[in-house]
Amino acid sequence: MNALPYILRRTLASLWENLALNGVVVGVIGAALLVAGTYVQVMVNLDRIVERWDRDVHISTYFYTDVPVDRRFAVKDDLARLPEVKRILYVSEDEARAYLEERVPDVEPILEELGAEILPASLEITLRDTYTRPSDITRFVEKIQSTDFENIDYGQEWVQRFNNFLSLLQMLGVALGSLIAGAVIFLVANTMHLVVYARKAELETMKLVGATWNFISTPFVLEGAALGAMGAGTAILGMWGIHTVVFQRLQSYLQLALGADQLVFPPAPLLWGLVGAGVLLGVAGCWTSVRRFWRVAP
Amino acid sequence: MIRLYHVYKSYGTHDAISDVNLHIQKGEFTYVTGPSGAGKTTLLKLLYGAERPSAGKLLVGGVDASRLSQSQLPFLRRNIGVVFQDFKLIPNRTVFDNVILALEVLGMDRNDSERRTRAVLNTVGLRGKEDSWPLDLSGGEQQRVAMARAIVNDPAILLADEPTGNLDGAMAVEVMEILLAVNLRGTTVMIATHDTGLMNRFPNRTLRFEAGRLVSEK
Repeated sequence: MNALPYILRRTLASLWENLALNGVVVGVIGAALLVAGTYVQVMVNLDRIVERWDRDVHISTYFYTDVPVDRRFAVKDDLARLPEVKRILYVSEDEARAYLEERVPDVEPILEELGAEILPASLEITLRDTYTRPSDITRFVEKIQSTDFENIDYGQEWVQRFNNFLSLLQMLGVALGSLIAGAVIFLVANTMHLVVYARKAELETMKLVGATWNFISTPFVLEGAALGAMGAGTAILGMWGIHTVVFQRLQSYLQLALGADQLVFPPAPLLWGLVGAGVLLGVAGCWTSVRRFWRVAP
Repeated sequence: MIRLYHVYKSYGTHDAISDVNLHIQKGEFTYVTGPSGAGKTTLLKLLYGAERPSAGKLLVGGVDASRLSQSQLPFLRRNIGVVFQDFKLIPNRTVFDNVILALEVLGMDRNDSERRTRAVLNTVGLRGKEDSWPLDLSGGEQQRVAMARAIVNDPAILLADEPTGNLDGAMAVEVMEILLAVNLRGTTVMIATHDTGLMNRFPNRTLRFEAGRLVSEK
């Protein structure tokens, strides 16, 4: 296509000639993607926390006090052979008591008062990573129910609740994201409309001398793509700032409260996704405003 | 080259062009004249597709211009050079870039385009003004830039709307001589003007319009 050098020249020239307006477009796209990106950043880290909790799922099975010790070890051996079980540990009444006394000072008189049966012997089961989904755990617990156990505790209920909370957050994010995307397309289209309006006479003349739709729109669309990518770059810089300044300061608190690992910056594929979203926003905004011009110009 | 069959152009209840029938041969030089509001500019706009007839049929270079889609329109316009009354020069492009634009839209090779642009600027007497900005030029010079852009791609038809309206006598004659030279090369030229002095000095077929109607022809 012989018009290609012209189109590339015009794209670069237009980026340079409309610095102020282009700065506004980059700012609008950047701000919108910063909101979306920060949301992604939070979700990535929350997902990691939940994933870690899932990985650390322990199931405690508490024996009735009248189950003989050799029976308890036989049950332990049976369970150890199950494919879901990664590790199994027998904890006697004495070990449980020692463990509690070690962690809670001055608990001894209370334990004396309550009696020996308050801390029964148990099996501490850790599941393999491939069996840590809530449905797998529930199925496993049903499978190991027996008359030897007084109670089976797997603390998954609140993890499930937290997962539900995360799903809700994700749904809210999608709804919010759609609203933001709509608002940004509107804002970008209107800002680009200003760019088109500033060059109305030029575009009108081009159309009058026989320029085709592709000839007129392609430089704008490329310009929109470049502005979108720059907006995304700005947003990623902003996210990095938030990560460095805010998230890193929250690190120790989250580690203590939620057992969070090191908080991470979103991985490269997500950042590329953000750049793609910026490019799409820029292209859509430019395309719609040039289209509007093309329809009404003589 | 140009044929109009019972063409109307209405804006609301007002007929800017009313029942016009016209046939212009290839290579003809025609004046369209009449008082302000007679329909001269509207007729030109119909010919280059800036307006569509409300009724009737309009053939330009064998193409039914009244039925062209937006995507077909550019290809009609590439065969028509237009000198607009307000010049329609792009202020942030140099004289050279304004003129070469008509070749760039064709996707013509850059070297050929530059060569032709320099040649045509030379023809209209703007040698040395290539790098000037349109707003730094006089009215006559701007008019010649507009003319250079209209003829640089050797169009089959050249339309000019009041090309001498803003010019003094000597400059107007110069512009007319350029238009006649273009016509001599085979281009069909149609000029909307009410400059009777000029029409008398360079006599050609003259179509007189009044209130949108073609009232006389000589």
